[in-house]
Amino acid sequence: MYQRTNGMAKMNKLGLGAYAIAALLTTTAAGSAWADTVITINTPEVFGSMDPAKISDQGDYAAAVNLYDALMTVEEGGKLVPELAESWEVSADAKEVVFKLRADARFSDGSPVEASDVVYSVERLLRINQGPANLFAGVLAPGAVTAVDAKTVKFTLSKTFAPFLATVPTIFIVNEEVAKQNEGGDDAQTWLSTNTAGAGAYLLKSPPSGAGLTLVRHKDYYGGFKEHPIDEVRYVVLPDEASVRSLAASGELTMTSAFLAPDTYKALEAMGRFNVITFDTATAFLLKLNSKVAPTDDVHIRRAIALATDYKTVREVIYPGGDLSGPLPSAFSEFLAEDLPAPTFDLEAAKAEIAKSKYAGQKIPITLGYVAGLKFEEEISLLMQSNLEQIGFVVTQQADPWNRITELASKAETTPAVNQIFFGPTYPSPDSMFYSQYHSASAGTWASMEWLLDKEVDALIEESRSNADPAALKEIYKKLQHKLVDAQSDVFLVTLRAQLAMDKCLTGYRFVPMQSVPADFTRYSWLCN
Amino acid sequence: MEFLLFLIRRILWSLLVLFGLSVVIFGIARGIPGDPARMALGPTASHEQVEDLREKMGLDRPLGEQYGLFLAGLAKGDLGRSLLTERSVNADIRDTFFATFELVLATVTLAFVFGTPLGMAAAYWKDRWPDNTIRLVALVSAVTPTFLVALLLQILAGYVLHILPTSGRMLPSISFTPDITGLMSVDGLLHGRFDVFGEALRHLLLPSVALASTAFGQITLTTRASMIDVSNQDYMEAGRAFGVPEWIRVSKYMLRPAFVPPLTILGLTFAALIGNAFVVEQIFAWPGMASYGIRTIMQKDLNAVMGVVMVSGVFYVMVNLAIDILVGIVDPRVRIRGGR
Amino acid sequence: MADVAANPPPPRRLSNAYQNWYRFSRNPTAVIGAAIVVLCVLAAIFAPLVTPYPEHVGAVVNFRARHLPPSTEYWFGTDNVGRDIFTRMVFGVRVSLQLAFVVLAIAVPVGTALGLAAGYFGGWVEIIIMRLTDIALAIPGLVLVLAVATVLKPDLVTSMAALACLWWTWHARLVYAITCQIRTQEYVEAAETLGAGTFHILFREILPNCVSALAIKTSLDCGFVILVGASLSFLGLGVQPPTPDLGTMVAAGAAYLPDYWWESILPGLGVLFVALGFNLLGDGLRDLFDVQEVR
Repeated sequence: MYQRTNGMAKMNKLGLGAYAIAALLTTTAAGSAWADTVITINTPEVFGSMDPAKISDQGDYAAAVNLYDALMTVEEGGKLVPELAESWEVSADAKEVVFKLRADARFSDGSPVEASDVVYSVERLLRINQGPANLFAGVLAPGAVTAVDAKTVKFTLSKTFAPFLATVPTIFIVNEEVAKQNEGGDDAQTWLSTNTAGAGAYLLKSPPSGAGLTLVRHKDYYGGFKEHPIDEVRYVVLPDEASVRSLAASGELTMTSAFLAPDTYKALEAMGRFNVITFDTATAFLLKLNSKVAPTDDVHIRRAIALATDYKTVREVIYPGGDLSGPLPSAFSEFLAEDLPAPTFDLEAAKAEIAKSKYAGQKIPITLGYVAGLKFEEEISLLMQSNLEQIGFVVTQQADPWNRITELASKAETTPAVNQIFFGPTYPSPDSMFYSQYHSASAGTWASMEWLLDKEVDALIEESRSNADPAALKEIYKKLQHKLVDAQSDVFLVTLRAQLAMDKCLTGYRFVPMQSVPADFTRYSWLCN
Repeated sequence: MEFLLFLIRRILWSLLVLFGLSVVIFGIARGIPGDPARMALGPTASHEQVEDLREKMGLDRPLGEQYGLFLAGLAKGDLGRSLLTERSVNADIRDTFFATFELVLATVTLAFVFGTPLGMAAAYWKDRWPDNTIRLVALVSAVTPTFLVALLLQILAGYVLHILPTSGRMLPSISFTPDITGLMSVDGLLHGRFDVFGEALRHLLLPSVALASTAFGQITLTTRASMIDVSNQDYMEAGRAFGVPEWIRVSKYMLRPAFVPPLTILGLTFAALIGNAFVVEQIFAWPGMASYGIRTIMQKDLNAVMGVVMVSGVFYVMVNLAIDILVGIVDPRVRIRGGR
Repeated sequence: MADVAANPPPPRRLSNAYQNWYRFSRNPTAVIGAAIVVLCVLAAIFAPLVTPYPEHVGAVVNFRARHLPPSTEYWFGTDNVGRDIFTRMVFGVRVSLQLAFVVLAIAVPVGTALGLAAGYFGGWVEIIIMRLTDIALAIPGLVLVLAVATVLKPDLVTSMAALACLWWTWHARLVYAITCQIRTQEYVEAAETLGAGTFHILFREILPNCVSALAIKTSLDCGFVILVGASLSFLGLGVQPPTPDLGTMVAAGAAYLPDYWWESILPGLGVLFVALGFNLLGDGLRDLFDVQEVR
């Protein structure tokens, strides 16, 4: 039976559809399950390990943020708020941070969260050296975290690291006792990939598999819930957008992932059951220009490409999104260099720039790289080709699967001249944008396909990291933005405007400029009954 | 006795084939560009982290040693852990394999049940209108891209008529794990869950029809061609001249050898689809092994890729063995020759 | 069929077929097939002359004309960047034909020769060739092609090479199976006894028996090669844009179903059209082959 009407669909979601009843009768013992709120969400990627020491991927993070709590978390606008810690103190030189844990903080097995668990979690993270561990390279050495007493924990940094607090939400706290019971010779990595030992508001009902995973509410969560909480969250892996639509049409889908094609959201909105939410993100969409290969090694060519970019078509038709004038999206309004000029589309000016370059007066071969299979990237690439060919470039399109792009990005010679790349912050600080993309230490990753290797830029980033004074920080970041725009390190295409569709009964979505924190389901509630 | 010898020989050869396959796929998996350690670590990993993981994965050891480890695991039936998800490859493949197996089984059944009788009918009424009609239908069916059938079915059933589900194996709201045979429909029945059985069949219908269209056409055409070839053989003529009754001629001298080519095609199709049903799996979001294989090769998840190839290889070899035996039973000459 | 029995037995066995086929040689499907193939080949050759917007093959974008339904201006509608789908389909046939031709021109002769040899000679020849096909067939094709294409350069040439590496095995298996059957047949044994050369037996006595099955297989394969090529293009291993390819167009348009159905369904029908032509022609060619054999 395939529900056709919205009413039926909603009933089914509430566990009142005939099949759902049958399913619940045989699978759940609890009678209260009848009124449970169950939501179903699509996800394009298969879930990986749920081990908090290994998570680096947005999709995995979306599930993990519900299974584990950190000392602090992030709210709208990037504001840091208490989670497991009720308060913290930062020393004057910003090298020592002392967290006071909530007295009532408990893991899902009921045992209290103690300072020793925090010490264990950080040590384990550094030992395994994956996932978010690289944020703390040179900042946290083994032994840097100590338990002052059962509920007080002290972080001693090896050097001043201004964005440190912003990175704390990435450290999920693991239940030491449970993890050690399942140590299994590999620091419990195998066990934690499909089991949880956290203090989060949800538990794993069915572990991650190729089909998805299911979270179930931990009713005794120390942090409590809003009214009408979400009882069960089913993630369904659907790599194909047509399947998202058909699942939505059948009434089985409650919420979509972000970044589907605009047409998909339109189709869902037309079904009447969904609200489509649109919000500007902190993710920048750039054309990264490789400064170490011809012809983009010449700043005039880079400027010519920027001038030959039809921003209006990109931002309004191909990939609707917000303005972007430099490397920092406007979500970081505090640190934004507002005096940067908005980029313009001017083929005559582009020709003038070419005339100033060392490639003047010849046909200039150029390679445009993008991710194979992404329609809008192909459209942007075609748009660039048609404009660039008018001003004397000979364009080769190079669509590659993503794994090949990461490989190509490891060497300057193999990195295409122009690359379409999205980059968003992994922690709520401009440092995430600058360090991962423009610092020489990040060279060889797909995030830094500019191959800048610029000592002055490095020095500015280092300076920003060791500077704890907000006013000075602001100045350094502005200087950085101007420097990058002057060098035309990238073509600043657009700030991503994400969309997602949610059942009209579901509320609570707020955009947060960090990973997948918006997927924390304690922030949601179900309005219908 | 002769037959037993034939069987033993075939099994030994099959093992050799699997060994060859393991060498080939190991070579290919190591040759794919892209550092698996970097792929596993994600975008923000530093160079040190990547080196660290490479060492932990054993990727810095000599190739021979890595192959030895792979083979040792294989001998124990352990395909290792996915580099990406940390889950056991055995578990991932078990889930996806049975999803694909169910789909392919339905496909082959459809193709055979509809293909052979039509092929025989066409041969019987050779060059008359039933033959021409059947041939045309079979031809169109065989050459229609699976893509196109799948998309058309999806539009028709999913968007226009809203009668059948167009994605996945089961409704997300029904939580059911096929824990007996791994086949959703069969296990639903065994558990007495008729809702599961019904939904499983409904989900199975569109993808298996889409996947069956090519095989159906091929089976029909091959059956027809083979029946005609055999009926033109001298011994058929001789049989007729000697006045052997028609039912003996048809059943003993005609049907048996005539089934060899369609059976071969059927077996090859069955085995090949396990690893190649990608297009249909993709369009209908079927959580099968071909999609899993493609996904893992894109992410350079070495253990998973090798696991998928080895499992579909073992399956292929087993199906082939079964087909060989079946053909041997149907056509004794092959059996004698094979045992030679 | 009654008159067939009256004919003498081998070696002039094939005259049965000749007589039989001759009466039906004006097979309308074969004629239609030939017409389709000729039409496709001509359209591919003269694509720039017969299409309304030949410039749409290159880097042309017109975002105001995107996703337009079929009309008198754009016969088959426009795609996601506003290019004429009919024009791109005609040019796409070019790429598809190249792909199918190159792959099968390598795979069929190689597969047939190896299958014949394995079936006829037996012994070590059979063991080596057939185990090789076993290994090759046991690898999921798409995975191998994908792997080869990522090791080498991910483009159409690599994909074709990888496809050809796999494809011969199907023909080898088919020919092998038939050869095994035929090999023990009386007329082959008779030819052997009469001292006929190996070459004669292989290519004059055995091969003609494989032709009908091979013709079906090969003609069916044309469409299949085009389709596998399409899957590869979809995965980013086919022709580089903006060059059009039928399979890529289907894959690209599928994202816009069901609203802009023409973007995927029409190129899909294009693939069907080309493949159907080859199949009908394949049937006709089989008749032709038999006729020549008698003369």
